[in-house]
Amino acid sequence: MKFFEPDTIDEAVSLLNEHEEARCISGGATLVAMMNADLVDMPALVSLRRITGLAGIAADKDGLRIGGMTTHNTIANDPQLAGGWSVLRRAAGQIAHPGVRTMGTIGGSISHADPAADYLGALVAADARVEIAGADGVRQVPATDFFVDYYTTDVEDGELVTAVLLPAAPAGAVGIHRKFARADGDFATASISLVLALSGDVCTHLRIAVGGCGATPINVPEAEQLLVGQPLDKQRIAEAGKLLSAACDPIDDVRGSAEYRLLLVPRLLQQALDMATDEINAGAAA
Amino acid sequence: MSTKIQIQLQVNGEARELLVRTDETLLETLRDQFQLTGTKRGCNQGVCGACTVLRDGEPVRACLSLAVNSTDTELTTIEGLATNGELQPIQQAFVAEGAPQCGFCMSGMVLAAKALLDTNPNPTIDEVREGLSGNLCRCTGYVKVVDAVMATAAGKYG
Repeated sequence: MKFFEPDTIDEAVSLLNEHEEARCISGGATLVAMMNADLVDMPALVSLRRITGLAGIAADKDGLRIGGMTTHNTIANDPQLAGGWSVLRRAAGQIAHPGVRTMGTIGGSISHADPAADYLGALVAADARVEIAGADGVRQVPATDFFVDYYTTDVEDGELVTAVLLPAAPAGAVGIHRKFARADGDFATASISLVLALSGDVCTHLRIAVGGCGATPINVPEAEQLLVGQPLDKQRIAEAGKLLSAACDPIDDVRGSAEYRLLLVPRLLQQALDMATDEINAGAAA
Repeated sequence: MSTKIQIQLQVNGEARELLVRTDETLLETLRDQFQLTGTKRGCNQGVCGACTVLRDGEPVRACLSLAVNSTDTELTTIEGLATNGELQPIQQAFVAEGAPQCGFCMSGMVLAAKALLDTNPNPTIDEVREGLSGNLCRCTGYVKVVDAVMATAAGKYG
């Protein structure tokens, strides 16, 4: 296996195009585990760690830019990820364990696109876009289109994820990532990521994504529309939860049966909305 | 036959240069090339934490780190903690509080605990549990491990 350490994104893209079936390696938290289990075998690895500017979080006029090589640990601890953007910070803080969060990166995690991974739903809830570099230049894809299928993204051969871009969240919004897992640090059996804003008690903005319950994060605009424009009430939240469950297509696996996951979804939604409402009210009282 | 390339590392304060296979994990390098066998191989999947080492001060899984992807970094393994035979406070605490049972997870536990206290010198019990959540002890002796970390934070061991 060949190993390359390019200094620039252009060099990395050239290497990916020269060496068919080459893979990018960022932290290695997933790829090396797969290598150790003999699940993958590639002719070449392109390490992204020497590329200047690929790691880090910076605000600009359009929102926040999170470089693809930014680790979960950095994202979980960056105070810039406040308000609605905290959905991503909270998702990052629930990935695996401290000794893995120092290695794993957002670009690596979303490129792998395990539907039970924490970032996927958080990106959808935050209306994130993913920046992808290739031989023809740089393009951006909304998170909802980026995740295509189980372990499959919109990234083509010869391309790589360079950043996640977060648009400004509504003023006063909060972001919650409510995850149900068998044990701390495990992948989600099911999760709800959401960004909520209230005006008084009226819901003015809501984006919800379900994780771990299908090939990609589940987003149902009708469920959000049911709740936006009025005070949140349990009956309507339960109805929204049913709409979400109906759109899910979970599998039976070691983390839970499909049936159990469908039971979790409306409950996690209620819990996540309670957490979000409490946080908004606590902020208003402070 | 896998390709080999030259890398350089600092291991426990000593500069090292060596040839590694491109698919060689840092765990293999530490154990097989440097004979630093205090770093344990448990699951080799990043789950158990037995292979935890500090890379540039941060806890990482040696089993999930490629040696070639760690070049120019500074590593600390369990062998690098004591100076002139004198154990660090966190190590003394583990001994005195009776934290080790079979001992297999201890290298990883001690390094994870050190990394936690380096960034958060006065953790709550919950923060200690979270900080060590990625280190499994199959003897299930977590209580005394947590006690040892709390006692260290309280300054009981200097």
